[in-house]
Amino acid sequence: MDDITDGLTEVSCDILVIGGGTAGPMAAYKAKRRNPQARVVLLEKANVKRSGAIAMGMDGLNNAVVPGYATPEQYTKEITIANDGICDQAPVFKYASRCFDIIQELDSFGIRFQKTENGDYDVKKVHHLGTYVLPMPNGDTVKRALYRQLRREQILISNRYMATRLLTGRDGEIAGAIAVNTRTAEFLVLRAKAVILCAGAAGRLGLPQSGYLWGTYENATNSGDGYAMAYHAGAGLANLECYQINPLIKDYNGPACAYVAGPFGAYTTNSEGRRFIECDYWSGQMMQEFYSELQSGKGPVFLKLNHLHSDTIGKIEAILHTVERPSRGRFHENRGTDYRERMVEMHISEIGFCSGHSASGVFVDEFARTTVTGLYAAGDMASVPHNYMLGAFTNGAVAGEHAAEFAAGRDLPDYDPSDVEQERARVLAPTRRDDGIPPNQIEYKARRMVNDYLQPPKVTAKMKLGQERLAEVREDLEGAMVARDAHELLRSLEVASILDCADMAAAASLFRTESRWGLYHYRVDHPEKNDADWFCHSILRKQDGRMMLEKRPVAPYIVPIEDEERSAYDRQRIRESA
Amino acid sequence: MSEPFEAFGDVEDLAADLASPDATVRRLAVMALAETSDWQAVPHLVAAIADAAPEVREQAARALGEFDGRAVGEALARAVTDSVAAVAAAAAESLAELRDADAGGALLALVAHPSPFVRTAILRGLKALQIEASLQPAITALSDVEPAVRVQAVGVIGYLKRQETLPALIGAARDGSAEVRLAAVKALSFADQSAEAAAAVSAALKDAAWEVRAAAAETLGRLGVSSASPALVAALADELWQVRQKALQNLGRLRAREALPAIIALLGDDNPSLRKDAAAALGEIADPASREALATRAQDADPDVRKTVAWALGRL
Amino acid sequence: MIASASAKAPNEEARLPIAYTPTTLPVVVDEAKCIADKGCTVCVDVCPLDVLRISDLTGKAYMKYDECWYCMPCETDCPTGAVTVNIPYLLR
Repeated sequence: MDDITDGLTEVSCDILVIGGGTAGPMAAYKAKRRNPQARVVLLEKANVKRSGAIAMGMDGLNNAVVPGYATPEQYTKEITIANDGICDQAPVFKYASRCFDIIQELDSFGIRFQKTENGDYDVKKVHHLGTYVLPMPNGDTVKRALYRQLRREQILISNRYMATRLLTGRDGEIAGAIAVNTRTAEFLVLRAKAVILCAGAAGRLGLPQSGYLWGTYENATNSGDGYAMAYHAGAGLANLECYQINPLIKDYNGPACAYVAGPFGAYTTNSEGRRFIECDYWSGQMMQEFYSELQSGKGPVFLKLNHLHSDTIGKIEAILHTVERPSRGRFHENRGTDYRERMVEMHISEIGFCSGHSASGVFVDEFARTTVTGLYAAGDMASVPHNYMLGAFTNGAVAGEHAAEFAAGRDLPDYDPSDVEQERARVLAPTRRDDGIPPNQIEYKARRMVNDYLQPPKVTAKMKLGQERLAEVREDLEGAMVARDAHELLRSLEVASILDCADMAAAASLFRTESRWGLYHYRVDHPEKNDADWFCHSILRKQDGRMMLEKRPVAPYIVPIEDEERSAYDRQRIRESA
Repeated sequence: MSEPFEAFGDVEDLAADLASPDATVRRLAVMALAETSDWQAVPHLVAAIADAAPEVREQAARALGEFDGRAVGEALARAVTDSVAAVAAAAAESLAELRDADAGGALLALVAHPSPFVRTAILRGLKALQIEASLQPAITALSDVEPAVRVQAVGVIGYLKRQETLPALIGAARDGSAEVRLAAVKALSFADQSAEAAAAVSAALKDAAWEVRAAAAETLGRLGVSSASPALVAALADELWQVRQKALQNLGRLRAREALPAIIALLGDDNPSLRKDAAAALGEIADPASREALATRAQDADPDVRKTVAWALGRL
Repeated sequence: MIASASAKAPNEEARLPIAYTPTTLPVVVDEAKCIADKGCTVCVDVCPLDVLRISDLTGKAYMKYDECWYCMPCETDCPTGAVTVNIPYLLR
């Protein structure tokens, strides 16, 4: 295993799904259900059994729109406000309208949601705005249940293949993808009538404070490959400057899951044990408040549970230490931190792209279509804001169904064989060198530059310097990177994705000359929000081999937002600065 | 060239390894069979429940959790009585995953098994099946000597949500075990507008166990019986703030106007979580009489309190 | 456990020879419990970062690459309880 082997195979299918984490399995499943005659391939660079953000399951839904607790209109309104109004509502509304059906379907797969003693969904009320939390105390079984459905639908699963580039036809429409086996370096050309990208967040973009490359907030496999592939295929990417930055357990660098502990009475405090967050919504504004408190004399910030009853803490531990990031318990144990006695020190994450928590993603409409014909995207890498795990499932379903119908009326497009040859040369270049720089060093340097120059507060001159430094790293990547086995080759390909994402982060951040979304896009030298010029999406795309950016109007709202509600944020800001 | 798609092998070929003299090989065969997710694997997994080696039986019991139906239910019912605890525990977990009503028969046959572990696991499995036939055995099991069994019996009854089970659940709300009382108080939530349920749950607001008191407050909010308000007002003086908080939340839910003075008093509590929920309850009740009191907290030191006060004032 | 990051000796003529850098490995396998020699590959299969391998020498699983997200499928899914995931030293 891991020896570099020469080989190339070509296969054809109707629908190719890239990424077997959350959205991908659902997309593949729904495509096959919609058209049982279709040949559906699910490609995954790890193993579908335990891959992606939910490799170890999930401890709850935090955006479940359950009848009787919240309405699609209310949810759409809150997401619009949380995104400072920059939100195409149609895909959000569609998600909100469909997600309860998806919950019930997941339930029928054997995925367990918390039920009351009367067998009903035990939705938790968090605040007066909307009620969206549905715990999953046995959420560790999510992947196994999904996998079982995929097997029973006879989806063709390709594990340990990393897609590196999309193939397009004569008119720029999608024609398939090129992939490399991560243990043998053999190539696989997959021709397809439709491709659904579900490759997750760009979570290996910034460097965690620990300096450990793999100690990321997101699953460390999520190196932004989907963003890079979409870019090189000519698709538009939306609002990349609206970074993901999340609160987390310091050093452990994983979520503290305040939304799990919140309904039990836990909350975020400063070092005086007092609440400080003014903002009602999970948003860049909330992260700005978090950041300000961290930097203030009242910092650092903590998750406070020690006021809760010991029995209650036992219940919280039972969830947090078995599901999603179960090694949390081990981390606390090493440090002798008992929730009953000590508050848990928190921090904020490195930057990334992820629409699961923010809004940076490949632009999609309410059918999960990108701007490239035949190319779909869903989950953390598609632009539906704040869609979390349930959004990945729901939008994955939307993508799968639409792609199945699209593919049914279509012939397999041809691709240009010289594209494959070029890609083989690019991919294998690091294996042709006898010496040079290993991918881990190139990655470390690139990500350190991201921290130094691109993370907020964003400064124009620094970001421009960052672009120069990143260009130098790119020269090393293209001219001196060496991979000695197939595993290192996998890492070298990931570094290329990371560097593409870093370049996109810089370009998108420089383009929007205003501040918006709180900390996510706080530009020190353009500190004000400027609705007159910037109430729009930014769209980044590759044109004639170069990165270009343009404005795209926000689609007319289908759920109106009152001026009073729209200004809720600004009022909070004024209070902050007062 | 390695095969680009996952191959899972033929079920019969995989099952051949179940005849190996090496228990580890048999165990790996069970795992491989489960992985296929193929229903053809079920008879082989059922057979492995009778394997000589406990680790193989345990693996088979776990593997059967991936499937469903009568044969699976029967095999798991057998495994849950296994003398090796690890096998029985794996079977109990898998039993709880069954959803096919056809599996019910095998489970019902064991409701009176001598082992309390088995009785507990069986009732837990029956709960999710939500079958009529389990109602009477569950009511009988409310008299079981073992509290864990009685808890599951309450669950079976609670999931079926039958009006005629109210007396049984009300009885369970007075059980000697706090765990059982807790389950029963929660299970009574379905009895919308039932005065007798509300009376029983109101009594539970004085339970010795705080979690029962907190759950009782919650259930009263769900039942929607306004005559329960005085009991909830009394609970605003509970010794634990967690119970006082639940009482506040559910007085809001009941829109209990008569509770205004007691709620207003809590607007000045030291605990910010209570001040916040007091404000929220006043917002739910939306009586203009609380305007002045709410306004005094508009500049509270706690941002959640301030936000909730603003919201509540907007609703008056 | 400490492992070398490199499997290949540095090339003497190289412009940028690659060093052996020691690092502690978070994932530990109890070889007495591991049944990889009987054909089990569960931990290797489920690792998202693909950092585990079966040793040609011992027939047992081991951590080959120090690239761990401390996510724990290897430990949770191991049928014999042979795998332990520790928190990587740098973030302990």
